[in-house]
Amino acid sequence: MLASLEHVTKRYVKNEGLRDLTLGFPAGEVVGVLGLNGSGKSTLLKLLAGLLFPTSGRVSAFGGLPRRNRAKIVFLGENDALWPWMTPADAGYFMRTLYADFDSVRFHELLRGLEVPLRKTKTMSKGERGRLRLAMALARDAKLYLLDEPLAGIDLISREKILSSIVREWHTDETILLSTHEVAEAEGLFERVLYLRDGRLALDVSAESLREQGKSVVDAFREVLT
Amino acid sequence: MTTNKDEWSLDMSGGPIFEQIAKNVHQMLARGALSPGDKLPSARDLAATLNVNPNTIVHAYAELESHGVIEKRRGLGTFVRMDAPIDGLRHDMLHQAATAYADEGRQLDATIQEAITALKEVWDAG
Amino acid sequence: MRSFATLLWLEYRRSRTWAAALLGSLFFWWWGLHQVRVVEVGEQLGIRAGLLAMASIVAIIILAIMIGRIRGETRGGQFQVLLLSPPSGYSHLLARFTFAMAVAFIYAVCIGALAAWTGSQAGVIFAARSLVDMMLRLPIYVLGILVAPILAWTILLMVFSGAYRVSSLNWVPGTVMVLATPFVLRHLMEWTIRAFYTLPGWRFLNQFALALFHDANTDIEMYGEIPDVQFLFTASDQYIGFPQEMFWIFLLAAAVMLALAGRIWQEVEA
Repeated sequence: MLASLEHVTKRYVKNEGLRDLTLGFPAGEVVGVLGLNGSGKSTLLKLLAGLLFPTSGRVSAFGGLPRRNRAKIVFLGENDALWPWMTPADAGYFMRTLYADFDSVRFHELLRGLEVPLRKTKTMSKGERGRLRLAMALARDAKLYLLDEPLAGIDLISREKILSSIVREWHTDETILLSTHEVAEAEGLFERVLYLRDGRLALDVSAESLREQGKSVVDAFREVLT
Repeated sequence: MTTNKDEWSLDMSGGPIFEQIAKNVHQMLARGALSPGDKLPSARDLAATLNVNPNTIVHAYAELESHGVIEKRRGLGTFVRMDAPIDGLRHDMLHQAATAYADEGRQLDATIQEAITALKEVWDAG
Repeated sequence: MRSFATLLWLEYRRSRTWAAALLGSLFFWWWGLHQVRVVEVGEQLGIRAGLLAMASIVAIIILAIMIGRIRGETRGGQFQVLLLSPPSGYSHLLARFTFAMAVAFIYAVCIGALAAWTGSQAGVIFAARSLVDMMLRLPIYVLGILVAPILAWTILLMVFSGAYRVSSLNWVPGTVMVLATPFVLRHLMEWTIRAFYTLPGWRFLNQFALALFHDANTDIEMYGEIPDVQFLFTASDQYIGFPQEMFWIFLLAAAVMLALAGRIWQEVEA
């Protein structure tokens, strides 16, 4: 297992939390993490990234604490942000010198492909900022990618570009966990889907096996979560 | 080889994607959009076009390979076999369409003559 | 060490407006000094010394604010980016500290120059060694005993209060730390004073010291309190200089606080 949770509970002051979750993630899986707001999707990803610590239970990645192995993990959060004065060039310098697995050439290709303007982030739209951060994330050569709502608030064309970039950059030994509300658009990418409800795992299933039963991931979403 | 997403018409509620992809290739062959010897896009390229997991395309290509429709040539890519059973595919697809038509006809209590006449009218007009 | 250079660059980029404003304010202080036109030299010097003291205090406050913006970045989401980056918390905080100290050093040297200018306006003729003392040695001494500990303490406080952001009692550790500081400081000072002059004192500004001393009462014994100038002399009229120990102990205290802050960074949630 590349990463795992063992009987993990996370209690929070706010509504989102996780209750006694046990999950394992082998290498090479693309996993969709779905659920309503407050179901614990972000919490799950942040625990795996080492941004949060469990109230009880154990989270491990690469055989140890996620925070200790952060060089092998990419986390793209909803709330993380670059400094407003940073340009993509600054971001590239930042990444290149701090991360050994950062590929500058690929970064520039991704910037072009995702049509990121070369200006300060404070002058960019939300979609452009999202695409910049995605380019930074995908130009790394990590083993575990945790993408928390990478499509949120982003226009349709950008969303398609983002999904297709993710497909292009994924290698078969990498594991991606992607949480999103844009289930219909993203479902094609998922081999495995986790449905979370109120901090618990409602369903853990392979996407194609759902389709064998004639259900799309979206159909199952309605069944499981309403 | 079309890399247009809309030409592939995937329906997420319509059964496993790999089967739909394989079926699409059959259709393209049967309709002449694809010919023996044509090169297929790499699994990753097709996956990126359709926003689908590359393993799914690999699975689809494996299906097609097992049906003797396509083959992998080392270092060159994936190609439609020269001896791909196109006639067989055409036949199967015509039969499938016919089955649907026949089912509809039986539901309407039509005779075979009525069915053929209707078909002829539509065929000549189209 | 390439990553430390990046962290310094980052600190420079995000703080350079502050640093520029601070260093720019030196013109304001110089202009203020220039404006003092009281006739009596003693009063003039007194006012100017007061201005320079104010300039120093304001600078320390501004540097502390500049360095303590971790919480603002927590809300902005940049802190998360830093937390996830490979360099350790120690590196991040040391970079912040280093930049602030570099700015502080430049500022202090300038204040020393202004003080020398003030003195020369009053007719004092400085020996070369005294100029070096005013513009380099004394600033470094003050940086060590005052600025470094204050900045390190600010960093520690910020990381400490940032660490408990999520829990409902997030004001407790910060408050505890602020309340505990006077006690810790008192004990630290007691220990430091006991150690005074085990090493030879640093005799900055002998030129002044002797001049000051001759104005003061030569019979008075050594006091235990800073900043009374009498304590820089022994009862027998010998200028023993500033105590080295204070410099090293407070620098060490700063290092300890930074190390502690770096350790806490490991445990912070975002």
